[in-house]
Amino acid sequence: MMASRDLLIEIGTEELPPKALQRMRDALQASLDKLLNENHLEHGSSQAYAAPRRLAVLIRDVPEAQPDREVNKRGPALQAAFDADGKPTRPAEGFARSCGVSVSELQQIETDKGTWLAFTSMVAGQPAIEIIPGLLEKALKALPMPKRMRWGSSDIEFVRPIHWIVLLFGDAAVKASILGIDSDRYSRGHRFHHPHNIAISNPESYAETLQQTGKVIADMTQRRASIQAQVSEAGAALGGHAHIDPALLDEVNALVEWPVAISGGFDKRFLEVPAEALISSMQDHQKYFPVMDADGKLLPFFITIANISSSQPQQIRAGNERVIRARLEDAVFFWNQDRKQSLHSRAGQLDNMTFQKKLGSLGDKQRRISAIASHIAGELNIDVPQVQRAAALCKCDLVTSMVSEFTDLQGIMGRYYASHDGEDAAVATALDEQYQPRFAGDVLPSSGPGQALAIAERLDTLTGIFAIGQTPTGDKDPFGLRRSALGLLRILIEKQLDLDLTRLIDTAAQLLPAEVQAGAITQDLFSFMMERLRAYYLDAGYDNHIFAAVLARQPPQPLDFDQRIRAVRAFGELSEAESLAAANKRIRNILRKAETEIPASCQQELLQEPAEQALATAVSALQKTVEPLFQQRRYTEALRELAALQTPVDAFFDQVMVMADDKRLRDNRLALLNSLSRLFLQVADISLLQK
Amino acid sequence: MSDTPTTFQALILALQNYWSRQGCALLQPYDMEVGAGTFHPATFLRAIGPEPWRAAYVQPSRRPTDGRYGENPNRLQHYYQLQVVLKPSPLDIQELYLGSLRELGIDPLVHDIRFVEDNWESPTLGAWGLGWEIWLNGMEISQFTYFQQVGGLESRPVTGELTYGLERIAMYLQEVASIFDLVWTEGPDGPLSYRDVYHQNEVEMSAYNFEHADIDSLLQWFDTCERESNRLIEAGLPLPAYEMVLKASHTFNLLDARNAISVTERQRYILRVRTLSRQVAESYYAAREKLGFPMLADKGSSA
Repeated sequence: MMASRDLLIEIGTEELPPKALQRMRDALQASLDKLLNENHLEHGSSQAYAAPRRLAVLIRDVPEAQPDREVNKRGPALQAAFDADGKPTRPAEGFARSCGVSVSELQQIETDKGTWLAFTSMVAGQPAIEIIPGLLEKALKALPMPKRMRWGSSDIEFVRPIHWIVLLFGDAAVKASILGIDSDRYSRGHRFHHPHNIAISNPESYAETLQQTGKVIADMTQRRASIQAQVSEAGAALGGHAHIDPALLDEVNALVEWPVAISGGFDKRFLEVPAEALISSMQDHQKYFPVMDADGKLLPFFITIANISSSQPQQIRAGNERVIRARLEDAVFFWNQDRKQSLHSRAGQLDNMTFQKKLGSLGDKQRRISAIASHIAGELNIDVPQVQRAAALCKCDLVTSMVSEFTDLQGIMGRYYASHDGEDAAVATALDEQYQPRFAGDVLPSSGPGQALAIAERLDTLTGIFAIGQTPTGDKDPFGLRRSALGLLRILIEKQLDLDLTRLIDTAAQLLPAEVQAGAITQDLFSFMMERLRAYYLDAGYDNHIFAAVLARQPPQPLDFDQRIRAVRAFGELSEAESLAAANKRIRNILRKAETEIPASCQQELLQEPAEQALATAVSALQKTVEPLFQQRRYTEALRELAALQTPVDAFFDQVMVMADDKRLRDNRLALLNSLSRLFLQVADISLLQK
Repeated sequence: MSDTPTTFQALILALQNYWSRQGCALLQPYDMEVGAGTFHPATFLRAIGPEPWRAAYVQPSRRPTDGRYGENPNRLQHYYQLQVVLKPSPLDIQELYLGSLRELGIDPLVHDIRFVEDNWESPTLGAWGLGWEIWLNGMEISQFTYFQQVGGLESRPVTGELTYGLERIAMYLQEVASIFDLVWTEGPDGPLSYRDVYHQNEVEMSAYNFEHADIDSLLQWFDTCERESNRLIEAGLPLPAYEMVLKASHTFNLLDARNAISVTERQRYILRVRTLSRQVAESYYAAREKLGFPMLADKGSSA
């Protein structure tokens, strides 16, 4: 057993980009794990750390040296290695030279393609300490960074300037030059609490030493928990509860090494402004946590996380209170200013704002949404005048000061301003609901006009961007089409709106500017949406085979798709399912290979064997039972009925030879199988359930 | 820790003294309308090429669209930046910056000082860099940038740029809620306020920017400056060519304040200024090269 030690790596930098911190931490860990393994240093578990000024990885039980290992080299083929006199050729001699031996010391290996000269040698493993610096430099250079930079006169590139590197192998500091920095055992503490060097005595003591001596919590999970606990506690102390947005918590966590919660307050008069605007101001601009009362109403307090254990925390509190006051004054100003002009009177301004160069202005987009939403309202029996009014106003809040400042308030401010203008309550609600769901797991629009608008808004974006060929690729989805598609599907399915997606796409596509009407986007967009639908169902725990079975039928109404997939899942749990899936698959193969025209139906008088007679009787009886069920989309019941076919089908395949010599008998049997297969296909392609 | 400067001019003097001690040339504002300290040739042009440079200066900055007729306590169309450029950026540049805060009596063990990621890009200057805004108890007081590209040219070596928002810092130090309540200095007849010095200017200049600036002349003037800049670049005169870029840039800002430029045209105007900036940058580099980069101490080594 090779002796092993723990390895510690810490890269000390200037303040790192907070939104990329965790990703960089994980990438460094994964990359080091992989590089060590590739270099024959099989090791134990690893743990990663990250804080604004450091990335670190602790890797346990790294062997002190690579194992000695056999290296096999293959030389020229035997017939090319010796001449007619049996003397070694030049290639043979060259190969021997490259192995450092004479030709006579070479071995031969036999493969099924012939015999070759070969040489096997033992290579002594190198000490880990000599390999690790090179691996670290490689890992750092390959680290995924939002943007690389240079500093000073150096040509070295990294995400931010590097100031120190800790490299410890067991108790020993590994001294090497990595990206221009001399590694050693010295870390540094908190920028202000402990700016001096801190010697790390061994890898296992890293986190503890930094916390005790340096006032740095290096472990992101521990730090996040500390922030969460402090914020919650502060919220309770203020007589309410803190509203902790997980994304904000992550961001704040990446901005501090030593979190200390500090509460502050603001004047109650600011509460006249819509709470959403105040919350955006606190969260987006100041990275504060707002505080709510038991009813979810905003209280005039905030909680900020300082990165210091201040000797005078009241100074930090006072400073932050002054900043938020100025911010909230802005919000009040926008709120008062915006209400001086009605939403409707802003519609003209939309014509001067570009939505997308080829797709025209926001005004153009708004008019297309109106047309699509009216069409949907007609199909779903939603109040058309309400929908048209809401559609006419749907983008007007984008030109208000408040939304220019806080873009995530789009729709929400529309609702407030519409109410203020005295618009119908249903209209105001629809303006907000058009953007629902705003994020994964968000609520869906509950009102008819809101649903019509939400569907129309997404359809226009999807068809428009597809028409100009800017479909998402890889991680690039600048128009958020994946999210739009999923939101649209969720509304249709979960709100049980029976709309035909292909027809919706056609309707929206016809409204696009003539120059971008590429025509054939319907199928592409439909396929794209079906892939989103796949993600939706896999996420909900459906098996991919079940999804594929329904997808094969391409039902154009997502609601219909949903009813089918539920039925197929229920069917899959029946004891007959597996055998029927196999039978269907077998039938498919037989039908595919059949080279004759299969008759439309089978004829009673040609059925000879008892098993085929029994099957035909069962099929025709079931046809009558399930037909009305299909009509009413009662797919689960229909499939439960069809499960009864298992016994006669299995008996048929046991006892009947389909490919009989007599063509008439053969064709009749094919017709029987075809009619059975078609019964199942009314729901899904059950043959695809076979794993 | 030094005493807190209690007047606007004491703040400027304290920062100038501090940066003077760090080996910066104390320059004066550039005598033309610019939108930010970055436009001063001491930053934009000196960041180009291999020659070292350290300078600090106050730059009056004009942002016509930010005018509020002197009615908003936080916004001005004319305000002051204190700009520091260090080339190559020293490894302890963050510490140097924090030293300047200590000089203002701001103790980092009392206050919450943070470097919050904020990457900078100037579309008209063809420049970008990475860095932070610096927060003091939640308020942005400075901008910190490592230039990576200027005028389309790679920054080698890298210039570190520090920009202090002087009014903001002064409001903080003097604990006032309106810019106009800042004490500029203590005069023989009592305190002179920022209002005394600049309020009328804000009112009149806002009226000019938003209402009276003559659009037709400005449009023509923009074209003239562009043409002149091109002509001067051809004549191998990057410095006067750059002044034409500054004039064009400010003219564009005025047209913007007059709402004379549509959204789509806006992009095109920015592109025109950027094209000029790039040509000036290249021409300036060539001119310095022709002079043998005279400020390089060791001309034998590559920068």
